[in-house]
Amino acid sequence: MSTIAHDEPAVVIIGSGAGGGTLAYELTARHIPVVLLEAGPHLTHDDYTNDEWDAFGQMAWTDMRTDNGSWRVARDFPNLPAWTVKAVGGTTTHWAGATPRFKPHEFKARTAYGRVDGANLLDWPIDASEMAPWYDKAEIAMGSTHRHGRKPLPANNNYKVLANGAERLGYKYYATGPYATNAEEYDGRPASVQDGFNFQGDKNGSKWSTLVREIPRACATGLLDLRPNCHAVQITHDAQGRADGVLYLDENGAMHRQRARLVSVAGNAIESARLLLLSESPMFPDGLANSSGQVGRNYMRHLTGSQYAQFDEPVHMYRGETMAGIVADESKHDTSRGFVGGYYLETVSLGPAFLAKFLDPGAWGRNFTSFMEQYANTAALWIVGEDMPQECNRVTLSPSATDQHGLPAPNVYYDDHANDTAMREHAYRRTAQLYQAVGAKRTYATTPYPSTHNLGTVRMSERPEDGVVNQWGRAHDVPNLFVSDGSVFTTSAAANPTLTIVALAIRQADYIADQMAAGEI
Amino acid sequence: MPPTEYSADALGENVTRRLARALRAVFPHDNVPDGPYERSAEAILSSVSASPHQTAVIVEGLRGLDGLTGGDLTAVTADELSAVLLQIERTEFFQIMLTNTVVTLYSDQEVWDALGYEGFSSDKGGYVSRGFDDLDWLPEPRVEEYDGEPLTDYVPSIPGGTQPSFETKKTGAAR
Ligand SMILES: Cc1cc2nc3c(=O)[nH]c(=O)nc-3n(C[C@H](O)[C@H](O)[C@H](O)COP(=O)(O)OP(=O)(O)OC[C@H]3O[C@@H](n4cnc5c(N)ncnc54)[C@H](O)[C@@H]3O)c2cc1C
Repeated sequence: MSTIAHDEPAVVIIGSGAGGGTLAYELTARHIPVVLLEAGPHLTHDDYTNDEWDAFGQMAWTDMRTDNGSWRVARDFPNLPAWTVKAVGGTTTHWAGATPRFKPHEFKARTAYGRVDGANLLDWPIDASEMAPWYDKAEIAMGSTHRHGRKPLPANNNYKVLANGAERLGYKYYATGPYATNAEEYDGRPASVQDGFNFQGDKNGSKWSTLVREIPRACATGLLDLRPNCHAVQITHDAQGRADGVLYLDENGAMHRQRARLVSVAGNAIESARLLLLSESPMFPDGLANSSGQVGRNYMRHLTGSQYAQFDEPVHMYRGETMAGIVADESKHDTSRGFVGGYYLETVSLGPAFLAKFLDPGAWGRNFTSFMEQYANTAALWIVGEDMPQECNRVTLSPSATDQHGLPAPNVYYDDHANDTAMREHAYRRTAQLYQAVGAKRTYATTPYPSTHNLGTVRMSERPEDGVVNQWGRAHDVPNLFVSDGSVFTTSAAANPTLTIVALAIRQADYIADQMAAGEI
Repeated sequence: MPPTEYSADALGENVTRRLARALRAVFPHDNVPDGPYERSAEAILSSVSASPHQTAVIVEGLRGLDGLTGGDLTAVTADELSAVLLQIERTEFFQIMLTNTVVTLYSDQEVWDALGYEGFSSDKGGYVSRGFDDLDWLPEPRVEEYDGEPLTDYVPSIPGGTQPSFETKKTGAAR
């Protein structure tokens, strides 16, 4: 760990999750000192608990947020649009580990899908062949199973049901990964003990996170100044419109200013957009880097949903790696199904506490309890598919609600697009058939949970009028401002996002280091 | 006699048991003993204790249920009481019971036991040698990816079976 003076113009990264944690490590590894501001505390595996609600209370982002729109989350969880983590390591501490890549056509959604009514589709300014080497690096860093010689995880009970159902339905493309948790010792971390706790933080250290890999390595370079419990509230700029500092509150509520030579925003899509909006100034009255008006817009959260299925025989879905089971057959684009884009099916498991809350929020009585009573005989999968970017789906500053610091809370507005709804209905139908094919007695299609994937609010575009950042995540309007998390996604693709966030951050680090060496930043 | 002051004392001695009975009607599990319902009731009572209004909501709610069940809510079956609760689903009283209990009841060890959930596992070394893969009523599936033809990602592909190109068109300006 190093200490960087507040008046030294530093490289300042805001947020230590998938994007920010990776960027911090990759820059320090290239001999560039970094100040890393993280709003949450520095907790490690000994602090974690296997109790779902205690773990959520310990680490989830529970600062004031509001939400609205026609999605059901707004009705059931008006203050919980998303499940993200506020701690060193960000949401990679609670993530599961599924790491599929984008498909080539998913980087070019506008070209591939044509014009879709009501959707703000745009091609990414980068493509799959350009990303391929960065995906390789990310998979190696994260230890994705089935890739680069990493062994697959063994089949757990929940996967056995999924895979057999998939096979009987005629699906072929199923496996226990790619999944960024060690099946055997790798990279100084042990093999999974199949304890079943991913969403609560992995006490065993087998799962990749920036907390266990990138951040300790960045500290070891001696070039990282990690500041936990430090909440960035504004990015300031000079008379030329270049970012020159970050104002942040420390754990005692005292305000500090860190001078900056370069600022990277990586607070996860809701907070990243909020911070840019909070950074309005006379020169940037609509928020920093927002000449396009796209900051906060095109919020995406993936089409999601779950299918629970109950059998005469036991499953014990909660034993083992939660999401080590992926079916890719429906991930293709095939408009004969009645929608554009595709979706994956992945094993999922909740304990009784979360299942009761999220199965069908507000449900009670015998119909509900009879379902809970078959808990041990239940298998489950999660549906994750591409959702359409829409201008109306948007993060804004609440006109009335504030957080504990008195700052305007973010409001998240989301409507499902007709394409999202058609895809979800298709997925519910196919997944019920999948489980019936292996003898399910009862199936239960579950509504989307609060968003675990948050994307698109600071999107990449070739032209400055279509988006906020360019192909390097560099703001079109502010040359030394970068965005380094899932906010930059031009479209969501079907794949879980984290592998792509990490690959983009490694690529961005390479670009930033080159630009700094060349004296361009 | 209805209470005249809505402090915690006004709840009376039977309130935990009576509230627990109502909670059983919200989440009826015949194989769950009274303990978890009573613990959930106590959690509600302690959470409302700071609010005279919410305390009154609970006291009046229980009194109302007594009235709707012929005088004593504990004298009817859980299912009969559930049918009565159906009519008051939108009330604050019901919502307090529902939103609190869904969290506390299903976080209770005794309920986990009844449902067949094993709870904490990290301290027991996980399930790697305790049955994470013991399901034996289906064949052992493959864990590797399919090794035949790769998935056709984009349908319809261009006639002739090739996939269209989705490379970025390089313009002069792009670097
Ligand atoms: C239960 C769950 C399961 C998941 N499973 C998968 C999976 O299997 N595969 C997959 O690809 N993805 C998965 N995800 C999603 C994955 O966790 C996210 O995609 C990823 O972590 C997002 O990276 P990020 O860098 O955008 O943000 P984060 O990782 O959330 O990091 C953002 C960080 O910024 C901090 N921050 C925010 N605002 C400020 C501020 N103003 N000042 C200072 N710090 C700030 C936050 O505290 C946080 O630490 C899952 C998520 C959850 C919740």
